[in-house]
Amino acid sequence: MNARAAWPVLVTLAGAVALWALGQAVGAYWQIVLLNVAMWIALTQSWSVFSGLTGYISLGHVVAYGIGAYVVVSGWGMLPLWLLVGLAGLASGLFGLLVAIPVLRVRGPYFVILTFGLAELVKYAVLNVETMLGKSSRLIFGAPGTETLLLAMAGLAAAATLLRHFVGISRFGRGLAAIREDETAAETIGVPITRFKVLAFALSVTLPGMVGGLMALRSTYFEVLQVFNPTISFTIVTMAIIGGNEDARGPILGVLFLVGLSEVLRSASPQLYLICLGLVLVGFVTYAPTGLLGLLHGRRARR
Amino acid sequence: MMKRLFAGLAATVLAASAAWAADPVKIGYTIAKTGLFSNAAPSQITAYDLWAEQVNADGGLDVAGEKRPVELIQYDDESDPAKAAQLYERLITSDEVDLLLAPWGTPHHLNVAGVVERYGFPMVGNTAASVAIREVAPGNIWFPTSAIPDKIGPELAAMLKEAGVGSAAVIANVLPFAQENLQYLVPALEEAGIEVAMNESYPPDIKDMTPLLTQIKNSGADAVIALSYPADSFLYMGQARELGIDQPYQFLLVGPTIAAFNGAFGPAADGIITLGHWSPQQADWTKAQPFYDAYVAKYEMEPDYLDTALAYMSAEILQQAVAEAGLDHDALRSAIANGSFETINGTIEFDGVENAVTPTAFLQRQAGETHIVWPPAIATAPLKKR
Repeated sequence: MNARAAWPVLVTLAGAVALWALGQAVGAYWQIVLLNVAMWIALTQSWSVFSGLTGYISLGHVVAYGIGAYVVVSGWGMLPLWLLVGLAGLASGLFGLLVAIPVLRVRGPYFVILTFGLAELVKYAVLNVETMLGKSSRLIFGAPGTETLLLAMAGLAAAATLLRHFVGISRFGRGLAAIREDETAAETIGVPITRFKVLAFALSVTLPGMVGGLMALRSTYFEVLQVFNPTISFTIVTMAIIGGNEDARGPILGVLFLVGLSEVLRSASPQLYLICLGLVLVGFVTYAPTGLLGLLHGRRARR
Repeated sequence: MMKRLFAGLAATVLAASAAWAADPVKIGYTIAKTGLFSNAAPSQITAYDLWAEQVNADGGLDVAGEKRPVELIQYDDESDPAKAAQLYERLITSDEVDLLLAPWGTPHHLNVAGVVERYGFPMVGNTAASVAIREVAPGNIWFPTSAIPDKIGPELAAMLKEAGVGSAAVIANVLPFAQENLQYLVPALEEAGIEVAMNESYPPDIKDMTPLLTQIKNSGADAVIALSYPADSFLYMGQARELGIDQPYQFLLVGPTIAAFNGAFGPAADGIITLGHWSPQQADWTKAQPFYDAYVAKYEMEPDYLDTALAYMSAEILQQAVAEAGLDHDALRSAIANGSFETINGTIEFDGVENAVTPTAFLQRQAGETHIVWPPAIATAPLKKR
C-alpha cells in the first residue's frame, strides 16, 4: 500500500479510536451522543456509496437497518452477538441484491418513491409476521452496555468511511460517477451499468444492517415501527446533503453538524429544532448544493 | 442610622434564608412532543402541569415537612424510546433532578426502567400497559394501571356473559397492545361460552373499514369488540354509523377516553364501551370530582379518562411518598413500595411493580357522562344496551 492510500486509512482509524477514547472520558449521556455520531456516520457513508456516487437517491435505507435489527432481536440469546451482527449484515446485503435488480430499473423520482414504498412494505410485512407469531412485544435482557456498543459502532463507522473512500477513488467508483452524470453515455463507453449499480446497492445496505442490529440492543424493548421508522432514512439523506457528497469527508461533516445542532437546540425548544432543520436544509439545497464540503473547498479555492 | 443598617442586614439575611428554603424541587420527565406518539403527549403534559400548578398554589411540595416549590423540566424524546432512556440519564446525571415523572407509553417505560434501575432512582410509572411490565425487575418503577391485557380479556368476557351476550365479532389492530389483548381475549370468550363469530386483524394505518364492518354486520354477533387504537376508533365510529352497525354492545379498546372523541361524536358516542378504571362519577373517590372540575376549568375540555387520570395519579403517589420520606432515594423507594396512597382513583398500593388494589374495569358513555360499568364493586352505573 503506498502512502497516498495509507493516509486515509490511518486518519480514519485514528478517528475511530479517538471517538471510542472520548467515550471513556465522558459521562453516560455524552457516551450515547457519541454512539449516535458513530451510527449516523456509518449509515450516511454507506448511503453515500450508492446514492452519493450514482445520484440515485434512496429514501428507503431504513429497511436495511430494520432487517438487521430484526435479525439480531430474533436470534438474541440463541447465538453470540458477533455472529448475529454478521448475520444482520448478510441478511440486509442479500436483501439488497435481491431487490436491486427490479428496483434499479426505474430512475429519478420514481426510484425515490419506490425505495420509500419498499421500506414501508417490508415494515408491514415484518409487523404481520410478528402478529402471526403472537410476538406482540419482545424484551431484550442482558444486552451489552453503551461502551461495548460504542466500540463496535466506531468500528462500523470506520469501515463505512473506508468503504466510501476506496469505492470513490476506484475504477468502480468512477463508473458509478459516470452513471450519475449520464447513464446512457456511461453505458456507451463500456461501463457495465447494471452490474455496477446492483453491486453498489448491495454494498450500500450491508453495513446499515449491522448498524441496525447493534442499535436494537440499545433499547430493552423491540418494536417493529421503531426500527423501520422512515425518519431514519430522511435523516440519512439530510446529513448527506448538508455534508456534501464529493468524498468521504462530507458525510462526517454533515453528521457532526446535525448532531451538534440537535444537542444545542434540544433543550431550547424541540419544535424549533425541526423548524431550524428544515430551514438549514432549504438553505443548503438552494445556496450550497455541494454541502459543507463544497463550502470548504470553495473557500480554499478562493484563497 | 446604625439601627436602620442592622434592620436592612437582618432583612437581607431573612430574604436570603427564605430564598434558600424555597429552593425548588426539580422534577424531570420526557414526552413525545414530536414523532409517532406526539398525539398522546397533551393528555399527560396537562396532568403534570395541573398538578404542579396546584402544588405550587398550595405553597409548594411537602418534602418531609418542608414546603418547596416544584419546577418541571421537560424534554422531547421524539417518540424514540432509546432517546427517552438517554434523556433520563441526562436528567439524573446532568440536570440533577430531585424527582422523576414518567414518559408516555409502554416502550418508553420499559426502556427507562433500565435507567432508573441503574441509578437506583425511584419513579412512579403511569401509561404503560403490557404483560411485559411484570418482567421488569421490581424496585425502582411501579405501574398504577390496572389495564393489563391478561386481565382485560377475562374481565371483558365476564362482563359480556353477565349481559347475556352469546356471540362476539372481534377485530384487532396488528399493533402490540391490541394483539396482546387479542391473545388473552379469544380463549377467555370461548371459556365463557361466548361464540367468536369473527376474528380479523387489520393494518395500523387502515383508512377504510367497510369490508370488516360489512362482515361484522353479516356475522349476526351480539357484540362487537374492536381492539383498536385511537385513529381506527375514530374511523370505526364514522363508518359503523354509515353502515348501520346496530349491535347492542360495542367495545373500542383505545380512543373513546380522549376528550376529542366525545367532542367529535357527541350523543353518537353514547353506549360505546371502552377500557378505563377512573371516572369522576365514583363518589367514593373524593378527589375524583374536584380533579375533574379543576381540569375542565383550566383546559376547557374533559381529561383523558385513562392517560390523564393515570398521569395525575402517578404524581399524587409521588407527592404523598415525598411528604413522608423526603427526597432520599432509598427512603422514597421504600415509601412508594410499602405505602398506601389516596388518589383520584381511590386507594392505591403496590405489590411488586403492579397496582394491587384497582380492579381491571370498563367505562361506558351514558347520556354525555363517562361511567364505570364493570366490575360491580366500583361501578357507577349498570351496563346499558346501545
